[in-house]
Amino acid sequence: MNDSTIVSDSVKRFKWVGTRPIRPDGVPKVTGRALYGADLKLPGMLYGKVLRSPHAHARIKSIDTSAAEKLPGVKAVMTAADLPQQKFDYIGPERVAQNFWHITRNIMAREKVLYEGHALAAVAATSASIAEEAAALIKVDYEVLPHVIDVDEAMAPDAPLLFEDMIPRGIEPTPTKASNISKRLEFAVGDVEAGFKEADVVIEKEFKTAAVHQAYIEPHACVAKYEADGQCEIWSSSQGHFAMRALTAQIIGAKIADLRVTPAEIGGGFGGKTVAYLEPVAATLSRKSGLPVRLQMTREDTFRGSGPTSGSSMWVKIGVKKDGTIVAADGIFKFQAGAFPGSPVMNGCLCAYAPYDIQNQRAVGYDVVSNRPKAAAYRAPGSPISAFAVESVIDMCAAAIGMDPLEIRAKNACHIGTPTIFGPKHAHAGYAETVQALMDHPAYQVKLGPNQGRGVASGYWFNGAGESSATMQVNADGTVLVATGSPDIGGSRASMAIMAAETLGVDYNNVRAIVADTGNIGYTHVTGGSRVTFATGMAVVNATKIVIKDLCRRAAVIWDVDPEGVIWEDGYAKPAGLNVGDFKPLSLREIAAKAAATGGPITASAGVNAGGQAPGFTTQFCDVEVDPETGKVTILRFVAAQDVGRAIHPSYVEGQIQGGVVQGIGWALNEEYIYNSKGQLDNAGFLDYRCPVASDLPMIDAVLVEVPNPAHPYGAKGVGEVNICAPMAAIANAIAAATGKRMTELPMSPPRVLAALSA
Amino acid sequence: MGEPVRVVFTTGFSRRYTGGVREFEIEARNLRHVIREMDVMFPGLANTLEEETTVAIDGELYEIDFTQPVKEGAEIFFIPKIEGG
Repeated sequence: MNDSTIVSDSVKRFKWVGTRPIRPDGVPKVTGRALYGADLKLPGMLYGKVLRSPHAHARIKSIDTSAAEKLPGVKAVMTAADLPQQKFDYIGPERVAQNFWHITRNIMAREKVLYEGHALAAVAATSASIAEEAAALIKVDYEVLPHVIDVDEAMAPDAPLLFEDMIPRGIEPTPTKASNISKRLEFAVGDVEAGFKEADVVIEKEFKTAAVHQAYIEPHACVAKYEADGQCEIWSSSQGHFAMRALTAQIIGAKIADLRVTPAEIGGGFGGKTVAYLEPVAATLSRKSGLPVRLQMTREDTFRGSGPTSGSSMWVKIGVKKDGTIVAADGIFKFQAGAFPGSPVMNGCLCAYAPYDIQNQRAVGYDVVSNRPKAAAYRAPGSPISAFAVESVIDMCAAAIGMDPLEIRAKNACHIGTPTIFGPKHAHAGYAETVQALMDHPAYQVKLGPNQGRGVASGYWFNGAGESSATMQVNADGTVLVATGSPDIGGSRASMAIMAAETLGVDYNNVRAIVADTGNIGYTHVTGGSRVTFATGMAVVNATKIVIKDLCRRAAVIWDVDPEGVIWEDGYAKPAGLNVGDFKPLSLREIAAKAAATGGPITASAGVNAGGQAPGFTTQFCDVEVDPETGKVTILRFVAAQDVGRAIHPSYVEGQIQGGVVQGIGWALNEEYIYNSKGQLDNAGFLDYRCPVASDLPMIDAVLVEVPNPAHPYGAKGVGEVNICAPMAAIANAIAAATGKRMTELPMSPPRVLAALSA
Repeated sequence: MGEPVRVVFTTGFSRRYTGGVREFEIEARNLRHVIREMDVMFPGLANTLEEETTVAIDGELYEIDFTQPVKEGAEIFFIPKIEGG
């Protein structure tokens, strides 16, 4: 526990909500007994190995697997030819549109390899070393093509094309020439040009951000067992076993009902484990060999073959009046999608100015392909990238008019009823409260020394909701089992047990929460979008309420009274009034003991398509010291205020905030992909890809601002993502305050800072 | 029926599906009515709305659920679905 503070309306109203019980998954994890994706071993299991492209861009002239197939111990070899063709069609909503023509080619290359690390064949053998040897025997004849990595270079008219027939969408009139631009988007409200004419100060700047990996500790891993009757079981580490089931079924051409996916314990995801890379390959190798197959990525595979978030190139222009009113904001946001279309640029556009009440706004986005792994979701996908640019320019505007950076944010803060660039008005408060929490924070008044500076930034994220399922079972001894379909990444088992215990009025320690497989629970969306405590929590509360109604009915049977004559209070069935009769209240345990006589097992399931979620707001400040001789930036203090609705388990909420901030610090200061002249990644490992470690960091002070969401039974809001939106700009702003130099490119690594200081 | 609800689309969406018209006033008491009325005007639009959009009713975000009530005079924005991390 840290010394965080909770700015709350009331956490005392509840017995369990807002408390910090021991996490139910703690003991297996700290004793090394938890079973992750790579831990499962089945009898007769084979070991898989994926062959990956050494080239950033090349045409595949031929693949010869004959030598690998002849190697003793090899039981199956596959290429893209073993997967069915997929139709070229964007299916589903614009941002999350899935084109299986692209997805199947990302899982296994067909006509071309589009990035170094692109999978193009796989083998399964009786040992890992035989599998590795066999993969090396696969002969691939390549025609190496020119490549392009950088987003601006990829947009140039003479850039090497990844897809010779890709015509940009969203540009009118429709271009006739192919391009690496997959799509252009534009959102606007008001009149931006007129707005800038009202401004006393107008500042514009260009920015670049590096692609960064989600850097989960556990690489992707799965085991697949495909039976002769077409039934297939998969155990995998992912953020959503229902999503893995659907994706795998589509890619291998199976029926959803023939696949059963069990979620392994997951060692981090941050958005990057919403994508299927290995599951269809393992299932195919298992089908071909008739034996279970385990596939797992190495750390190098994870860097070379799985999605980072986008790198970007941006231009932002903001106009303010001398009194601090922001009158106009304009921006162009160009995001790398990686090798296939689908960067989070739309989110970047929609979130860019969302914390603010700005009458005139425009955001133009470009989704651009280039020769690097396909971008995958990463914590508030897109929002941190545009926030870096926008929050930097707001800081410059504040400095230009001599206004405190928190003051300018308070003055322009969105409120309920403020229009957004995407149309609807804000329906929830919470942003201004985060600004105020920092204004009230004693550390904001601490004086700084030489080479030190303080920076402020804010962030916005939508938060998700949607479909979730939960089941409750009451056991014979009165203990309770809660099963959901949400893989537990951020502590959801604890928060589900807390909400069930609170609703049922029983001891948290008598409630066990588990994550059930696709055969044992109803459909549930991925654990992502900060949706689980909100949406799956609603399903748990609804299932609990059904159980309570049933418990009252059973008490009525025992007392031989009308069911309406029984109420549930503090974990007991009680007579609703004196006229019902003089009955001693019945505990959950007492009713559970009579389950058979009162109608059989006590169980209930609930499914929801949850809505009414509130967005996440954060405001953060940090103090840094810049070493003028080396350019190294040391974080001295970091304070992050976030509107969390109501913290169901405050320690987990603080952990989410601290984790998001730390990932943001890494994004700000060190993390980047370093490519050589051939487009090959030179730092595919944690020694050279520099994530922050504990010794790099101060204690992150998480300030929990509680503005409850009335749409949730306990006021919860999503808390997992918005915390990563602000750190990059907060640090850039602090560096500017310390040195007078404006850093506009991430990472702000020592060489870059030193170069800026020397300029 | 009382005051109609106001249905609004983004510029890009309206260009693609509603002939560039962004705003509509219709009689509806739940999302099923809204989607059905829009489908009457633009046949096939119902599927697109169900599959591609999130809806904001007076600013509150919801996934498409036919039973979701809409109040008289409500402002209903259909916006692209958002993916989280």
